[in-house]
Amino acid sequence: MKDLVRMRTSLKEEIERILNEQIKMEAHSSAIYLSMAAWCDRNGFDFSAGYFYKQSNEERNHMLKLFNYVSDMGGHAISPEVTNVPQEFDGFRDVFELALQQEIAVSNSINRIVGQARQFNDFATDQFMQWFVKEQIEEEYVARRAVELFDVIGEEGVGRYMIDKAIPKITYGDVEAQ
Amino acid sequence: MSNTLPLTELFASSKGATYQCDTTNRIIIQFGEARVSLRISDFLTFKKRVDSVDIHTMIFNTDDAYDVEIIDAPRTGHLFVLSLCDLIALRDLLAGTRFVLDLNTLLNERIYSSLVY
Ligand SMILES: [Fe+2]
Ligand SMILES: [Fe+2]
Repeated sequence: MKDLVRMRTSLKEEIERILNEQIKMEAHSSAIYLSMAAWCDRNGFDFSAGYFYKQSNEERNHMLKLFNYVSDMGGHAISPEVTNVPQEFDGFRDVFELALQQEIAVSNSINRIVGQARQFNDFATDQFMQWFVKEQIEEEYVARRAVELFDVIGEEGVGRYMIDKAIPKITYGDVEAQ
Repeated sequence: MSNTLPLTELFASSKGATYQCDTTNRIIIQFGEARVSLRISDFLTFKKRVDSVDIHTMIFNTDDAYDVEIIDAPRTGHLFVLSLCDLIALRDLLAGTRFVLDLNTLLNERIYSSLVY
């Protein structure tokens, strides 16, 4: 008897399900960053707004990368419904703390997928997800550094203005080599 | 010729049976009077639809609208009109079928693959 399930896709149902969940999570991240960008714009943090617009685009690209993978493997990629997007934040610093928490949640989720892929002997998905593992190192670094700036520069006086200006300049890795 | 298609029975219950046709790569569901043939992806979608019905609401809501559930089998033009009992029986049948399909995958992975030179 032919193995029709396997002929359709190389993805196990459970893997397909968690990849679709990740697609949704990336879409949600993209939407959150967009509302953070708008908040920064409204409150005069122009540089940070630009930073969040860029982040929002990156998250959408992450979503597409996963989406294409599921689809290419013969799976059913589900265009995600995005709900519960916060539109208001308590303050400048809170925005960045929330961004860091969001990135940590994503890293945890990526790790779970890799764990599952290995459990199912799905080495293709394991390998595919390694790009995201690496990406999260950078994403977390940048988000953490942004929060640190609040302590390093301080919010008093022209502090917030200075922080805002410093945000887009954060880079990960060897600055000399770039 | 159509009655000579090689059908393999996947699962059978008192209410119906399912078969796999290796010529057309389709799953055939025989349930009560209904007989539909589905591509594997449509079979999985259909199973999800059947599994996602909220049985609890069906039982406890007295409104007539909750007495039956109407589920369409993708790209067959067939609508299943299901009472609560039908729904549970169909779920059983599809779950049993899915189990056999997974078992077949496992056998292909572990045993048959080594026979392909
Ligand atoms: Fe991401
Ligand atoms: Fe991110």
